[in-house]
Amino acid sequence: MASMLQPQIILLKEGTDTSQGKAQLVSNINACTAVADVVRTTLGPRGMDKLIHDDKGNVTISNDGATIMKLLDIVHPAAKILVDIAKSQDSEVGDGTTTVVLLAGEFLKEAKPFVEDGVHPQNLIRSYRTACNLAIVKIKELAVSIEGKSLEEKKSLLAKCAATTLSSKLIGGEKEFFASMVVDAVIAIGSEDRLNMIGIKKVPGGNMRDSFLVNGVAFKKTFSYAGFEQQPKKFTNPRILLLNIELELKSEKENAEIRLSDPSQYQSIVDAEWNIIYDKLDKCVKSGAKVVLSRLAIGDLATQYFADRDIFCAGRVAEEDLNRVAAATGGTIQTSVNNIIDEVLGTCEVFEEKQVGNERFNIFSGCPSGRTATIVLRGGADQFIEEAERSLHDAIMIVRRALKNSTVVAGGGAIDMEISRYLRQHARTIAGKSQLFINSYAKALEVIPRQLCDNAGFDATDVLNKLRHKHALPSGEGAPYGVDINTGGIADSFANFVWEPSVVKINAINAATEAACLILSVDETVKNPKSESAQGEAAASAMGGRGRGGGFPGRGRGMRRR
Amino acid sequence: MAFSIQPHGIQSMLKEGHKHLSGLDEAVLKNIDACKQLSTITRTSLGPDGMNKMVINHLDKLFVTNDAATIVNELEVQHPAAKILVLAGKAQQEEIGDGANLTISFAGELLQNAEELVRTGLHPSEIISGYTKAITKTLEILEELVEKGSETMDVRNKEQVVSRMKAAVASKQYGLEDILSSHIADACIQVCPKNPVNFDVDNVRVSKLVGGVLHNCTVIRGMALKGDAVGSIKRVEKAKVAVFATGVDSTATETKGTVLIHSAEQLENYAKTEEAKVEELIKAVADSGAKVIVSGGAVGEMALHFCDRYKLMVLKISSKFELRRFCRTTGTSALLKLSQPKPDDLGFVDSISVEEIGGSRVTVVRSEDGGNKVATVVLRGSTDSILDDLERAVDDGVNTYKAMCRDSRMVPGAAATEIELARRLKEFSFKETGLDQYAIAKFAESFELVPRTLAENAGLNPMDIISKLYEKHASGNGKVGIDLRGDDSEDGVCKDVSTVNVWDLYVTKFLALKYAAEAACTVLRVDQIIMAKPAGGPARRDQPAGMDED
Repeated sequence: MASMLQPQIILLKEGTDTSQGKAQLVSNINACTAVADVVRTTLGPRGMDKLIHDDKGNVTISNDGATIMKLLDIVHPAAKILVDIAKSQDSEVGDGTTTVVLLAGEFLKEAKPFVEDGVHPQNLIRSYRTACNLAIVKIKELAVSIEGKSLEEKKSLLAKCAATTLSSKLIGGEKEFFASMVVDAVIAIGSEDRLNMIGIKKVPGGNMRDSFLVNGVAFKKTFSYAGFEQQPKKFTNPRILLLNIELELKSEKENAEIRLSDPSQYQSIVDAEWNIIYDKLDKCVKSGAKVVLSRLAIGDLATQYFADRDIFCAGRVAEEDLNRVAAATGGTIQTSVNNIIDEVLGTCEVFEEKQVGNERFNIFSGCPSGRTATIVLRGGADQFIEEAERSLHDAIMIVRRALKNSTVVAGGGAIDMEISRYLRQHARTIAGKSQLFINSYAKALEVIPRQLCDNAGFDATDVLNKLRHKHALPSGEGAPYGVDINTGGIADSFANFVWEPSVVKINAINAATEAACLILSVDETVKNPKSESAQGEAAASAMGGRGRGGGFPGRGRGMRRR
Repeated sequence: MAFSIQPHGIQSMLKEGHKHLSGLDEAVLKNIDACKQLSTITRTSLGPDGMNKMVINHLDKLFVTNDAATIVNELEVQHPAAKILVLAGKAQQEEIGDGANLTISFAGELLQNAEELVRTGLHPSEIISGYTKAITKTLEILEELVEKGSETMDVRNKEQVVSRMKAAVASKQYGLEDILSSHIADACIQVCPKNPVNFDVDNVRVSKLVGGVLHNCTVIRGMALKGDAVGSIKRVEKAKVAVFATGVDSTATETKGTVLIHSAEQLENYAKTEEAKVEELIKAVADSGAKVIVSGGAVGEMALHFCDRYKLMVLKISSKFELRRFCRTTGTSALLKLSQPKPDDLGFVDSISVEEIGGSRVTVVRSEDGGNKVATVVLRGSTDSILDDLERAVDDGVNTYKAMCRDSRMVPGAAATEIELARRLKEFSFKETGLDQYAIAKFAESFELVPRTLAENAGLNPMDIISKLYEKHASGNGKVGIDLRGDDSEDGVCKDVSTVNVWDLYVTKFLALKYAAEAACTVLRVDQIIMAKPAGGPARRDQPAGMDED
């Protein structure tokens, strides 16, 4: 009896999955390395792209680390951390997402033999943190400030940074062209620094070179009614009225009902409705505006009315476009046509409708506040333009960060080699175990130049040794030397203008170290069975969390202070 | 399984499907075993060098933490005896907000030692009486160990606060405690009311923003709200604020109604009057001197239009709690209806601005000279899990502050207190007659758990260190603890904690030990477990299904 009743001690709920110990740690590391291996080949100018076919049948071609990580839908809890750091790098800096994943993977890979040999992970963590701090101090030391230069000079410097970022992307072939475009766009929005003020419009067809920058706003012609053709399509210095109302013949309010006792009144009601719309239109015209935009529909009656009075109108303008127009032209969006004062009307130098590819575009240029810019991208396939957009986004972010922090470091693996050398040198002065750990941290940093070579098809060992030799020169002149992608040798990255904002590297190293430490510090995973009701919820929240920079989790508070 | 056997004894009394366990072997030892298992899970997380656990809860949310309270909470412990330990941990967490791990691990250790005693033949009741004696004595000794001069402290003195808080924060985020505790102390001191006993932990907010590193963390006097301002005005300074708990919109009837229109005139004027009404309301608010309108609900487009026209900044705070806190920060009283606010209903802020931090929009509300209202610690980190963990550390720090506001006494940290307690308790046990003394001796031994775990988690040799600690303590210095920051060189590990400034709060220790002892005794006292058959209802799916659906 007793033996039969001898139950297993069920400490946790049925279905709970626990794993712990060294094996667990090693398996976590393996999972992370596997993830890092996926993005590994996308690094650098010669990196390859990934084609991701998701469950909805969408095809994405990208070599942006964050995009790939997001689309991979990783479920392994430890590997998810790598996705998180890629996202964080994306929202904080915008570029270097592959780097950060690669570094974290490499840190863990270097840690693995130690863990297997029985080193306590905390020792590793401590050394890694020290190494990270040292590395960052060193980066700051090596960074070159671009502060205090003239605008022209700054522009060309920023263009170099943008070009470095772009060189690793699909549109790398036209990097100078796009780099200057990006820099112009960022300079245009100025100190306001709101990313959504730079619009990127995609028009399939044509050539990359046909892409252009509008110093203002551009959006695709909206759906239009009869009479639109008669409207003038070009104005100089027009007043612009921005509306948030429908200019259409329709019932005023849903909850109003008309009851008539006298049939003769019927006509008066019909007239009244017409009067209301005519009144509205009249007010728009009287305001003196030559261009009327509305977020809601502008009906055919209104279209013709405006056409008769030489006014351009567009209805159903996307909200973000309208906001951008408002910001650019200095107007405010009106929810009522009553009492339109001059103040709320915007203006710009030239408004015109232009043919771009097989689309027509409404373009506002020469806007007074100059806080917006729009890049119209051209290119062959849809996927191509999508990827180009992502690349430009990265470049824009880089330029913004560079502008804000105004220090740059040499790219092409040069800075990584230099830190690596510095850490190795430092490690030699340490007695005890941490010498080994810092050395392995230093070795992990070399993954960047190594991968650059691998991706370009060079002999990594050969190039790396050349680099080590250069960097070890006592005079320190070899510090800016990195991989030369064009010749397969080494070159002075700084002189070749392969530059990166230092904040990219600092953030990457920090985030990668944090993630590596986090994974190393885990010795047990407990997985509770999912409650059924929660499954839908979890899926929903996972969807929500996928948005860009959605990193302000609102759920935090609820789980504390129980 | 009950089918195969004829029911007899207690079996016949109970409904089919129940579980019944009794006796030393089945109940006591099994219970102890379960508790031991639980404490082995939490134990490795004890101390600054503790390891993290990755817990995925039933909502599929990932926790990476070494906060015992979080771990056991998310573990969903099923075993009834182990649950007692969890409850003890939770009690500690609620009372102090820190030291939950000590409670659980120590209780586990007590039980483990009790098991040995049970196996040698002691009756649980003897063990209980011994343990009870021991804990009373322990608490006496603990009081003696209180650092002289620590009874009084200035809770507004950052240095003193930090020195007491550091150990608690360090146990969560080792290596980052200096930065974190100084931020926490700043925030706490800012919101500390005139009578520190009334300190409300809720006034220290945490806002987590992914990206950046810990060094970018800041403390804001005021609040940080996620999201953007609604209107086109994104920044105001030195402005009066009006808060409306309901939406800012033209009033609509709750009941479904239809407006009956009888003539063309009415139709034409219908829209106009509504517009005029909204304008009137917004104008009234603007006239009262308010520059900012905060809405607890939706903001109508028409209302927004007029707010823009009258240059009012509009914020939307949909969470009621957040809105209440906002009112507290700014000293506003929330109005229920959109109407002209009275002058005393208006609050004041130094500045409200929309800032971009790490790619997300945050509305920062600053109220510098607002006094003891609300402070927000803005945390930065590269992943959500790191941020959550940082938040828990901040939470512990804030709770420690609360505890120290009530009782500021300190005891030496870093296992120094434990070793001293163990030493003195052992001496005490020798003087005891009767079987109690074995239990008391075991109780004393249990204290070694702390230095042992600290050393183990730090990758040091525990036996070596414990003996070294005993030696130092025996030679008179009761404040020698483990210095984890020291190198592994000869004498570096054992250090006088007063030189490295590692202190624990007396209350934390006091309650943790007390709860642990009580929990252990409760578990020991049980000799029978009767579990009723779980109630019916839809059967739970056994497999953690859907893992790869997501």
